[in-house]
Amino acid sequence: MSIAITHAAPRTVPRRRINRRSALVLCLLGGGVIFLFALTLTCGRGCLAPSAVLSALFGHDSAGASFVVNDLRFPRAAMSLVTGLCFGLGGVAFQVMLRNPLASPDIVGISASAGAAAVFAIVILSLNGWIVSLVAVCAGLMVAFTIWGLSSGRGGAGGRLILVGIGISAMLDSVTAYIILEAPEWDRVEALRWLTGSVNGAQLTEVAPVFAALVVFGGMLAVAARDLDVLRLGDDTARALGVGADKTRLVVTLAAVGLVAFATSASGPIAFVAFLSGPIAARLLGSSAAILPAAALTGAILVLAGDFSGQFLLPARLPVGVVTGAVGAPFLLYLIVRANKNGGSL
Amino acid sequence: MSLDHRLEAQNLCAGYEKQAILENVSLTLPAGKITAIVGGNASGKSTLLRTLTRILPTVSGSVLLDGQSVHTMPSRKLAQIMGLLPQSPIAPEGITVADLVGRGRHPHHSLFTRWGSADDRAVDQALRATGIEKLAEREIDTLSGGQRQRAWIAMALAQETDLLLLDEPTTFLDVSHQIEVLDLLVDMNTGRGTTIAMVLHDLNLAARYADHLIAVADRGIYAEGPPSEILTESMVKAVFGLESRIITDPVSGTPSMVPLGRHKVISRPCSRKIA
Ligand SMILES: Nc1ncnc2c1ncn2[C@@H]1O[C@H](COP(=O)(O)OP(=O)(O)OP(=O)(O)O)[C@@H](O)[C@H]1O
Ligand SMILES: [Mg+2]
Repeated sequence: MSIAITHAAPRTVPRRRINRRSALVLCLLGGGVIFLFALTLTCGRGCLAPSAVLSALFGHDSAGASFVVNDLRFPRAAMSLVTGLCFGLGGVAFQVMLRNPLASPDIVGISASAGAAAVFAIVILSLNGWIVSLVAVCAGLMVAFTIWGLSSGRGGAGGRLILVGIGISAMLDSVTAYIILEAPEWDRVEALRWLTGSVNGAQLTEVAPVFAALVVFGGMLAVAARDLDVLRLGDDTARALGVGADKTRLVVTLAAVGLVAFATSASGPIAFVAFLSGPIAARLLGSSAAILPAAALTGAILVLAGDFSGQFLLPARLPVGVVTGAVGAPFLLYLIVRANKNGGSL
Repeated sequence: MSLDHRLEAQNLCAGYEKQAILENVSLTLPAGKITAIVGGNASGKSTLLRTLTRILPTVSGSVLLDGQSVHTMPSRKLAQIMGLLPQSPIAPEGITVADLVGRGRHPHHSLFTRWGSADDRAVDQALRATGIEKLAEREIDTLSGGQRQRAWIAMALAQETDLLLLDEPTTFLDVSHQIEVLDLLVDMNTGRGTTIAMVLHDLNLAARYADHLIAVADRGIYAEGPPSEILTESMVKAVFGLESRIITDPVSGTPSMVPLGRHKVISRPCSRKIA
């Protein structure tokens, strides 16, 4: 172990290989998203020819395809896509920042607070549009900082932060349920959206704010991604490498809450997408390079696939949140069992 | 090859919320030299290193790098000059050795620069210097404590700073790897002119390898200077509360401390009585 360089054989550079794997995984995930998006556009109760879908999208009406594609399927697919990206990205940002897969926004109460605030804003305050999303963001930030405070959370998320978050989450879920019961004009479908999440009846005007949030907050995360990655080595090492730990945490919290809150106020808290995307992406990548984009794409796949199977593959028509919830619950149990064994981190 | 940087503390008070750990400490790390910091458990050695590297805010007083307060310097620039290996760093699950060592390159990049051949070279050299090039693809969780420690040292080396502070770099290492790490630090010091400060618990190795010895006790610096002057029976008694004898290390000619415990001592010096 002397510093003198002996005639060492040229070593294959590990970085390159990891990058190649990341690129491959990202391509596959991106391909999956495009496939599912196209599937949602072409297949429904009846399948259209791809050419009919395309000509409808570009404004040539072909035998009624226009209405189905442009007014029903495209907004739905677009909503699934952007909310999936938002949930996946916001979820993994929390998990990486707190070094714990259980610390995702939908487990620790961020989604629940955004959902409760959105329902409150719509039903009680009769607001709509952007304002609802902003109210949801504020509620999400408030809850995030409350949890940090109550668990005096510095650095990694111990069991305490998770438990406080789960408690707050349960409390806010019951607030949502109560407000829904008090809103008699809502039908069952609308109520389900706020309880488990659904992209049913999505409108392009509802997609727009989520898309804007994805650009703004996703951009913030992209800028903070390198620092976030170094933060996983612990606060001391991160600071020694020139990363301001508290500043990075603040930026990441703001961005992740923004993503999750905007998505939640459009589609409801689609169960477990934020929670599942990061760990699935991490398994695919092997190492955590490129975890943020991979988790975002995974989130989009989960929502698109969940919505499609909820509509057409399962015996009963189910909102997407019920499908993702059914997939996510066993994984949550698995993680809890494993965390008790060796305190897992992401 | 590297510039000499002067790191000094002036009337430094350091500690944690309302609990003062160090009071009124003034010191200078001699540029281009190896400094060893010794002291009992919980005496504040790690606190000192963390305050010097700006990881911990000062309570009062100042830390100056080349005469400029480190608190006014941009974090990235500071991290290009000064590196720290913390006492108990955290490795994320599943990270490979090469990946971890690569993180040491972080301060040399901005949002718009890409990983380049200079980075590859730095990582390769750090892996080879610490003798873990064969472990490059292994996950950190699957390594032994000593292998892991060497991976962390490699990360600090890959940062290629002119000033390197290490908090107990030799813990977890077997005797031969301890010597190898210390020899490596001397190589860096003489080869590249890196200024090194490290916390060590082994007084004899500290005296052998350091040009400058700092003994921390009672919330301050008990003594500092060349090891031959600092490592004395009275210092060991005052700093560690331990009776000892100092002999000359037959290999290096530096002072060497032999502890006198309550047992297993055949010839006890008659001048000292132990209660
Ligand atoms: N994060 C912290 N918050 C509060 N007190 C702390 C913190 N870290 C250390 N301390 C306290 O500061 C004192 C000095 O700790 P420090 O880690 O600097 O000791 P040390 O000399 O490095 O000891 P060791 O040889 O055991 O590593 C101890 O009493 C310790 O309890
Ligand atoms: Mg220490």
